[in-house]
Amino acid sequence: MNATTLLHRQVNPAWIQSGRVTSQAFKPTAKDNRRLSVYDGDKINAADAWQHYTGSLCFSSAGVITVRVDECQSLELESESDPTPFPEHAVIIFGEFSNAETEKKAKQLKAFALARGWQFQAETDTK
Amino acid sequence: MTTLPFMRPKFTGSRFENHTIPLELLGELTVFEEMLVEVAKWAYLRDHPDRKRSPRGFTEGISIRLSGVEDGSAIPVLVIAIASLELFPTDAQEYFEKARDSIVKAVHAASTDGNITQFLPEKALGFFDRIGRGLRDGEALEFHLPNETAVARLTKETRRKLLFASSDLQELSEEITLRGYISEVDQADMTFEVQLLDGGKRKAPLGSQHLDTILEAFAGYKTGTRIELQGIGRFNRKGKLLNLDSVEHISLLDPLDLSARLEEISSLKHGWLEGEGLAPPREGLLWLTRTYESHIPDDCPFPYAYPTPDGGVRLEWDLGTSESSLEVDLDGHTAYWHSLDHSSGTELSRSINLDKPNEWKWLLERIAELRGGSV
Repeated sequence: MNATTLLHRQVNPAWIQSGRVTSQAFKPTAKDNRRLSVYDGDKINAADAWQHYTGSLCFSSAGVITVRVDECQSLELESESDPTPFPEHAVIIFGEFSNAETEKKAKQLKAFALARGWQFQAETDTK
Repeated sequence: MTTLPFMRPKFTGSRFENHTIPLELLGELTVFEEMLVEVAKWAYLRDHPDRKRSPRGFTEGISIRLSGVEDGSAIPVLVIAIASLELFPTDAQEYFEKARDSIVKAVHAASTDGNITQFLPEKALGFFDRIGRGLRDGEALEFHLPNETAVARLTKETRRKLLFASSDLQELSEEITLRGYISEVDQADMTFEVQLLDGGKRKAPLGSQHLDTILEAFAGYKTGTRIELQGIGRFNRKGKLLNLDSVEHISLLDPLDLSARLEEISSLKHGWLEGEGLAPPREGLLWLTRTYESHIPDDCPFPYAYPTPDGGVRLEWDLGTSESSLEVDLDGHTAYWHSLDHSSGTELSRSINLDKPNEWKWLLERIAELRGGSV
């Protein structure tokens, strides 16, 4: 992984309304232990990442949005490969940030991702 | 014509506190008269087992009329009007009164888990499909039992019991408000199909007065155009909506209509997010819908709404260059507000108690600020 590595994030269908994605998509949940799961773009592209997530892991995803390692760094967020669950797995590391800081970074990451546009979208109605 | 006191049923519930009765419920009293006639005939034949039918013109010249509405929630005063000038009660009058008493006793039996068909024939129970249909949760139509102080209460629940006491009746109709998408329109049959927010589809008659709205919603099906519909739904014994008997009102919903979105979120099951997301509690979603609507004016932009992994709801607004979020704990009625202006980096965060009106006022002021206006 390097500064230009793409980090692909799956978006749950419930996290899209009228085509808009919630910034929760980039906010670690309690079970994430401050490590937000993504796919390492050096090892897998967005379409294959979606296929793996929905096919092999059997989770639900409406598509893939993507940030870059250097964008994370600009927000003081490190990222690293974490191949334990599967080889293409990586994480964006949220440190001991406050609630407000975590919210801010999630919103900023989403803004980076949306500026890039959907990298893969499952075929569904927009409703 | 002679008029004599017949009955003074009492509507109870908040809608009747100003001593008025909605016209839709008043209309149900006309069905009550139809029922009285049929039950009177049944009672006559029961008392005259040698006869195969009631006397010709048995109920002619006799009718039930509304003579006024009295205070006390709302009490429609019903009188029996008799065309004949005879001094003594006619058979019909006697059997109208017997019919009235049988109906009241059957309603009482329904509310006390008694034997309903001891008082009414099964075929007469079908009239309850059109009597009491407009009663809402917490409302009742009360009747005094003959020669007793007890009261028989017709409610949504007792109405269901009365209807389903008949082995012939497998379905009942009830007023319904639902939201969904128009997935199909058949202009030849004048029907349409509404796709509910949980994905189920139900057929409904298409009135010409609703055609334009339905066609507009149908054209917007792929892009998520939703409607809200009020009408009469037909349900089976298990309470499942089968189809719509009639449609009274249809309106297109704002694409971000919060109550429709929260209803959509209520269909989530536990495990919705990577096998672990908790489904938001239905009661909590209803609370949020009600409290939001009571504190936020109509001209305020609807937020986007999303479920949170821990069973809450997150409202988000894109206002100007800012993105704001309100993460709501549906059990604790608390929330966390965070707004970020992407251009300036300015942010604001705060915990909010949503049970306090002044906290909603604060929230409204923040939204107004971000919109660049005043409250």
